[in-house]
Amino acid sequence: MNSQIRRLGILLTAMMLALMVWLSYWQVFAAERLNDNPHNTRKIVRDFSQPRGVIQSADGDVLARSDPTDDTFERLRVYPERELFADVTGYFSFTFGSDGAERVYNDELTGRTARLRLTHLGDVLLGKKRTGNVTLTLSKRVQQTAASALGPHKGAVVALDPRTGAILALWSYPSFDPSQLSVHDQSSVRTAWDQLNKDPNKPLLSRAYRERYFPGSTFKVVTATAALSNGATLDQPSFPYLTELPLPNSGGQSLRNFAGHRCGGALPDILVQSCNTAFAQLGMDLGGDKLANAADGFGFNARPPIDLPSPARSVFPPAAAFLHDKPGLAKSAIGQQDVSSTPLQMALVAAAVANGGSIMQPHVLLEVRDSEGAVVDRYDPKEWRRAMASDVAATLRDLMVEVVRRGTATRAALPDVQVAAKTGTAQTDRNTQHAWMIAFAPADQPRVAVAVIVEDQRNSEDATGGAVAAPIARAVIQAALANP
Amino acid sequence: MIVLALVLTAAGYVLASLGGRSSSLPANLVPFLLIIGGLLGGAHIAVRRLAPQADALLLPVAALLNGLGYVFIARLDKNLAGLQALWTALGVGAFIATLLFVRRTRDLERFRYTFALLGIGLLLLPLMPVIGRNINGARLWVRVAGITFQPGEMAKITLCIFFASYLVEKRELLSVFTRHVGPLSVPEVRHLGPLVLAWGVSLVIMIAEREIGSSALFFALFVSMLWLATDRNVYLGLGGLLFAAGSIFSYKSFAHVQERVHIWHNPWPVFSGSGYQIVQALFAFAAGGLFGVGLSRGNPGRIPAVATDFIFAAVGEELGLFGAAAIILAFLLIVGTGMRIAMRAEAPFDKMLAAGLTTIIGIQSFIIIGGVSRLVPLTGVTLPFVSYGGSSLISNYVLLALLLRISDEEAGHRQTARLADEGLRAA
Repeated sequence: MNSQIRRLGILLTAMMLALMVWLSYWQVFAAERLNDNPHNTRKIVRDFSQPRGVIQSADGDVLARSDPTDDTFERLRVYPERELFADVTGYFSFTFGSDGAERVYNDELTGRTARLRLTHLGDVLLGKKRTGNVTLTLSKRVQQTAASALGPHKGAVVALDPRTGAILALWSYPSFDPSQLSVHDQSSVRTAWDQLNKDPNKPLLSRAYRERYFPGSTFKVVTATAALSNGATLDQPSFPYLTELPLPNSGGQSLRNFAGHRCGGALPDILVQSCNTAFAQLGMDLGGDKLANAADGFGFNARPPIDLPSPARSVFPPAAAFLHDKPGLAKSAIGQQDVSSTPLQMALVAAAVANGGSIMQPHVLLEVRDSEGAVVDRYDPKEWRRAMASDVAATLRDLMVEVVRRGTATRAALPDVQVAAKTGTAQTDRNTQHAWMIAFAPADQPRVAVAVIVEDQRNSEDATGGAVAAPIARAVIQAALANP
Repeated sequence: MIVLALVLTAAGYVLASLGGRSSSLPANLVPFLLIIGGLLGGAHIAVRRLAPQADALLLPVAALLNGLGYVFIARLDKNLAGLQALWTALGVGAFIATLLFVRRTRDLERFRYTFALLGIGLLLLPLMPVIGRNINGARLWVRVAGITFQPGEMAKITLCIFFASYLVEKRELLSVFTRHVGPLSVPEVRHLGPLVLAWGVSLVIMIAEREIGSSALFFALFVSMLWLATDRNVYLGLGGLLFAAGSIFSYKSFAHVQERVHIWHNPWPVFSGSGYQIVQALFAFAAGGLFGVGLSRGNPGRIPAVATDFIFAAVGEELGLFGAAAIILAFLLIVGTGMRIAMRAEAPFDKMLAAGLTTIIGIQSFIIIGGVSRLVPLTGVTLPFVSYGGSSLISNYVLLALLLRISDEEAGHRQTARLADEGLRAA
């Protein structure tokens, strides 16, 4: 019997050894593949519970930080400013991933960039973990001003420094509190997410850089650029005084001036009065080619290189689209029809004029510091587009100063600073309009460019860009120019 | 050696607490040490008193497995830990009682039919209408007076006793092949009865209780003991055939068996549904790697039933391949020691019983470790001494006591033989 017992023992031993071999397969050879398996949430949990740096505003206000907790995730991401910076910081959620700077600067915040690692090679040996703290270009003061100036109206405000492209304020209303998506109770996160998505006012939508609107008359700055870049002067061409412009090949359609005004003349007059009939004619005279070129020069049809996830492209149709569509060209020249633009893009239009025709890459990152406060990375401003020659920019700047001095944007004026601006009132349907303003200041040495849109104003003369958006732009400019 | 097991368990307990989020020494460390020290010390003294010449390795190894299992249970689920401590105490109590009452293995032989009836009765208990309980789809539990237990765990041992004594008596008959069917010679049909009976019983258990693991265990146990007793390879072949037939039959007939096999074959399409458990276990093993993520540093909590059937995956994650291999080595030690006891034993019944009991531990640990690591289809059996569970812990301690009793007897025999030998020489 003993030989059978021995054989049985050997068999059981062989089975045990087979288990060991099999386990080494899972634990060593297949481990990497399993760890990277998309269904494996362990990695996500680990990432989620990793130490994570702080996001702060340029003026030192903490916008996102991680507090220690007792549960599996170990840390809870909190946003002390609640909805104020949601567009920029984004959220950091276990179930729904991340957005905004939380997403773009994830590696910096978790200390995973080569720079953060190289600077602290010694820590690797000590097994210490460093995180990076991200400082944004936005200041709480300007952001706060933008939010309270816009108030409870759907819309967006973008303010940036035209010299560097640094975003100073980026606000969309309504907004949301990112903390409700970063809490650890995933069912409450899901409920919050569903509610935010069901809300018809789309609080999760970053209107400032992800939503497109008709730019309306603010687009006349682009049309004017096309004209000035193609030989137009302050006197020539000059347009007849009209209340409406019959559109060719449109079966009797005509394009009216706002509130039936009669207007015309050369560039200074038509821009100051935001004359639809003259700009529509100007667009048709220039032709689709030149207009589309000018729009592309400002960055239309391209994704702005902002360091936030998925910015929307602004749209101006290609020249070919207008070959047999003169009425379309006329309407596009005044920012209607097929033109659509993000508030960010319109702020860049203002910035181009302010910065001698050069558009700097818009960005929200000022610098990354390690946990001990040493700067490890700084955003290096770069030019993105040249929208126009500097003399054209200078001419346009003067015209936009006139718009504030005696035109449609008088409410954007500030007592001791010269503001340059252009208003817009974009028709959406029969009953509502969007009130726009783009502006920059001080006109001679611009330090801030803004775009403001207030959505869905009732059609009326008191709800134009000049009436509704101008005071908001003014407040934001004032806040941005005030010495901190 | 028992002290070593104690020290390792205590160290694991402290490390698990230090590795946790609070990073502090466990508050109840001293009572914890006193209790496990008392339990293991009691078991040790009982062995020294009641079976002084028994093998010295088995108890420490089992204690180490039990202690390590407790550390993991305490780390996974504080509520279960208290109960597991109680089960351990009851297990050690059963261990001492077994040593106390079973002074000679021959005593067991006399009650073989009682044990057989007891075993079958225990197996059938869960099917009783009032007391039977379905847990996780398997009807393996009985609930009496608020206490839930798995009678099948104890049935393994009583049936093993029955098999051993029955086969020892009938081995001659079963190994003489008198019938000839073509070129094959087969034993008398009526002697084949037990084999077919065991096959039938395991099938019935599987069908009625929806549990494949226990049936496979019973069947493997019976076939290997039959083979041990008769040294007839034909029984292995026959057993294999019947096993295959039973497997195919149940695969064709039962959706839950089919599902188990499909999950084993490829769990990925159902990774979020029925394959979730095994996929999470594999992720746990992968996360552990060679050295493990450290006690209390992993996320084994996301594996369903991690404290019972899947405790090995938690070990694999937090202690790595080395920790997992250490557990397998511990079982290897038990198997080796058990088989050595079987080989040294004098009486055929002792040999059969020791080998059978060892086979139970070996096969059961293989079934569940192989199950959670996808080597074989997953079935719900516990990892002896490590998993949470009262029935399992108590019956495994009883099994251990029986092995030690056999070991003590054979050592006694050898000593007597040696003394007699020396006496002869002296004369």
